[in-house]
Amino acid sequence: MMEREVVVVGLNHRTAPVDVREMMALEGDRIDEVNRSLCAIGGINEAAVVSTCNRVEVIACTNDWERTRNQIIDLLRADRPAAQEIADHLYTFRDREAVRHVFRVASSLDSMVVGEPQILGQLKDFYARAASVGATGTVLHRCFHKAFSVAKRVRTETAVAARAVSVGSAAVELAGQIFDRFEDKTAMLIGAGEMGELAARQLVASGVGGLMVTNRTFDRAVELARELGATPVPFDGFHRYLPMADIVIGATAATGYVLTRDLVTTALRERNSKPVFCIDVSVPRNFDPQINTLDNVYVYDIDDLSEVAHENLEERAREAGKAEGIVLAEVESFWRWFSQLEVVPTIVALRDKAERIRRAELDRVLSLLGPLTDEQRAALEAMSSSMMNKILHTPITQLKQQEPRDQLLFVDAVRSLFGIDESGES
Amino acid sequence: MVALVLFASSMALYLVAAAGFVSHLTMLRDAPRRVALGALGLAFAMTTAGLLAHGFEGFALRSSHDQLALLAWFLVAVYLLLQLRYRLAVVGALVSPLAFLLTLSAYVAYAGADDLGGSLASAWLPAHVAPAFLGYAILVVASCLSLIYLLQERQLKAKKITGLARRLPSLETLDDLSYRCVAWGFALFTIGIITGSILAKVAWGTFWSWEPVQILSLLAWLLYALLLQSRSSGWRGRRAATLTLAGFVLLVVSFLSLNFGFSHGSAVG
Repeated sequence: MMEREVVVVGLNHRTAPVDVREMMALEGDRIDEVNRSLCAIGGINEAAVVSTCNRVEVIACTNDWERTRNQIIDLLRADRPAAQEIADHLYTFRDREAVRHVFRVASSLDSMVVGEPQILGQLKDFYARAASVGATGTVLHRCFHKAFSVAKRVRTETAVAARAVSVGSAAVELAGQIFDRFEDKTAMLIGAGEMGELAARQLVASGVGGLMVTNRTFDRAVELARELGATPVPFDGFHRYLPMADIVIGATAATGYVLTRDLVTTALRERNSKPVFCIDVSVPRNFDPQINTLDNVYVYDIDDLSEVAHENLEERAREAGKAEGIVLAEVESFWRWFSQLEVVPTIVALRDKAERIRRAELDRVLSLLGPLTDEQRAALEAMSSSMMNKILHTPITQLKQQEPRDQLLFVDAVRSLFGIDESGES
Repeated sequence: MVALVLFASSMALYLVAAAGFVSHLTMLRDAPRRVALGALGLAFAMTTAGLLAHGFEGFALRSSHDQLALLAWFLVAVYLLLQLRYRLAVVGALVSPLAFLLTLSAYVAYAGADDLGGSLASAWLPAHVAPAFLGYAILVVASCLSLIYLLQERQLKAKKITGLARRLPSLETLDDLSYRCVAWGFALFTIGIITGSILAKVAWGTFWSWEPVQILSLLAWLLYALLLQSRSSGWRGRRAATLTLAGFVLLVVSFLSLNFGFSHGSAVG
């Protein structure tokens, strides 16, 4: 019999350009269909399809990895005449490497932006889909659940996902260093630049209490305000509203300073020196950098924010090393379990264990009873042997008779019910 | 004896707590924080038991030892109370070593346990010491908050955000809490000064005798009064934090003069 293996075949953002990924992406019912077809293929015991905008992969448990690989590729490019040349973009992982790949994907170590949080949820969804059509079994069940717990460990034990890596989220992170809560804070967006809108959106998503929008063309301010659920204020008199703003975002196309030191000084006086966070995402800059010298005002321009985001990204990279270590350790622990998942060795181990118990108990009883005749001794031997065999008969027959996919389930159950895996993990 | 053992164990626990808070702040792990809080809670229980046990052996509030131990106890109590509502591991990282130092000084002072004078044995003594020391403790916590505020503010101004900064509370929280602590500390401190002068009248026959600790306390009181007045008219942030720290320096000097310099009541004898 061929050795059972875990295999991953697929492509991701590193191996395939976006047009290839788009072409290969699987959606809706097609996913269930592919999951079902995969399981119907002889040699494939279990399978699950994962398809996000950054990756299309099939994770399978099989007895013949080479044939399975080709079958998976055929299935992936079925009905796609343009997809004949995808072989260059595909990768195949086997054994430990395949398990490691799944763990790394779940932990967001294989993501385009390392540490992004969506992938774990997506993976859970795709696992649930595969399970719902009965495509997964003992091995993938264990593999995915292990992957989810590895992802959780990575999240709690490393800072891989801890810090903001985009300019907008860096601004929100900084705002969180200044302000305790956002609900009672008001932001003001000056100008309709794209970066400014993005930062404003992120602030609103983080729960900022109010947002004012101003723009030289008032119509545009109104339009943007409607989109963001904000209040438009006239550009000519925006300084009158300035004292109300705890966060000011500058995103105009102006070449001079829209926000001067004097304007902010006046506003500060009116707001009792309550702190102001000025986010200048425009180039050339809208806010006079001198404003930063005022007490209780913090000015960050686009370079400062990029710098913060960049440092965070570097920290993520450092933390990723730690995370890889966790992944490797967990792969080993999964592998210990997986490599013991065989019928014959399990039966042997089961018999061994029972025989050891029988021997020990028999010796104890014989020493208690004192001198016995040979017949008496033989009778005890025979009785204990036949008891052992009768008890083990049903489990062993059941183990042998199951279909390959269910067999693993029974092997797993027997190993844990009879405590054969004591050296392994729980 | 029992009290000494309890104080010694609480000292060890304060060190554990300090190490826990520091490693929580540097390693970005949560487990050390929980260990530190547990150690601090246990140390607090032990100090409480120690003070009680010592009380049966003749707790007098009149010796340096008793006062230092009491101050440590108040300090940890104030921090633990704050911790119930705010996650302030970084304050714990300052309070724990402080509590250790105070208890250590108490331990050392115990050897030469000096009585500040039998004339002070009056019901007014606890009425003076309790609010004054609770006030001290709260003002010390306020100073810790202000110190952290200055740290955080400098990083934000300089645009160099370290990993530690993420573990610090926001400027808003720090400023607000420091303000409130100063207000409460000031109120208790005021009560302490009033009951103290009544005690002086009862013990020595005069309300006020211009001894160093009294002058320094008065200066600190004036400074805090000024700070609170400015704060209520819109002062905040860096300047308020700096002033809070200046008050702390005065407090420390006044406390040292009380315990290691001129003994309280010496001016009158």
